[in-house]
Amino acid sequence: MVQQQYIDSGILETYVMGSASDEEVKELMYMKATYPEVCFALQQLEIDMEHIARHMAVTPPVCTWDKISDTIDELMVRPVNDLKKNQTDRADRDFSNFNKGSQYIVVEAESNHIRVHKIWRWILAAIFLLGKIFLGFAIYFYLENKQAKQQLKELKTELRQIKK
Amino acid sequence: MKQQLTSAEASLQTRTQTKQDLFNRFGGMLLGYISEVVKNNQVAEQYLVDVFNQLQFSDIQDITKPGINTFVYLQAIVRKKLAVFTSSIDGYANTGKPKTFIIKGNKFVDLMNPDQQQVFCEIYYHGKTVTNLAAELNKTEAAIRELLREAFILIRSNR
Repeated sequence: MVQQQYIDSGILETYVMGSASDEEVKELMYMKATYPEVCFALQQLEIDMEHIARHMAVTPPVCTWDKISDTIDELMVRPVNDLKKNQTDRADRDFSNFNKGSQYIVVEAESNHIRVHKIWRWILAAIFLLGKIFLGFAIYFYLENKQAKQQLKELKTELRQIKK
Repeated sequence: MKQQLTSAEASLQTRTQTKQDLFNRFGGMLLGYISEVVKNNQVAEQYLVDVFNQLQFSDIQDITKPGINTFVYLQAIVRKKLAVFTSSIDGYANTGKPKTFIIKGNKFVDLMNPDQQQVFCEIYYHGKTVTNLAAELNKTEAAIRELLREAFILIRSNR
């Protein structure tokens, strides 16, 4: 069978050890996708590679991860330092670094709120108060008008009775 | 804005955690491999640190996909980084004959015959290509592949 011949050719071993040529890798990817036997054989070789490495494993010194995480921490801390530096620069009215874009983080704001001047608080309060006053007047004149109409109606009735 | 910064920090912490998981699982295996290549513990540790520092989150996503052997791909990254080191070793120094780099004290390598040991160690630890090794050892590429295959059969039967 083609796939067995391919597995026995030693190309899979060459591939897992990283010494296969580009053409061999391309061919292997095709064979792997086409034949499940090739895919399985490759997985077994990868497990073999893990076994070899596990057998020769050396526990890293305790500080090794710290050296890696220190670099990551630096990446997390750097923007805060830059921000402080920029604030100091602004206080000193020194805009020499203003155009150095790398020191700023571009963050897109997505707030649904708007900011207005404080005077609008008093304007809105006055509008509210005037609204209440006008409403009061409207109710007062409505009642007055109603009462006047009622009195007029009574007077007309009295006048008709007198005429009779 | 503050919310976005917080989520960015959280994302970075997740990435750090993922990287640390990889380090815990494979750091020792990779360090053992690097140590055999460079023969210096401090240099080996520095290579390991460099590899993990340069490991991007996109790389981590690629090598941790289901069906992918993460260790083999990490080792490939390490091998690529070590390529400069291994290519700088002069295999023909003084003698005019190829130097052999056979690893001693490895359970699997000790089981192999001298030819298998040489082919396995030159390719595994010193990143030589089959073509180059065939030319160096005056053998055909098919013969080199066959020796490598035999070496793996021995490893599998004794694991």
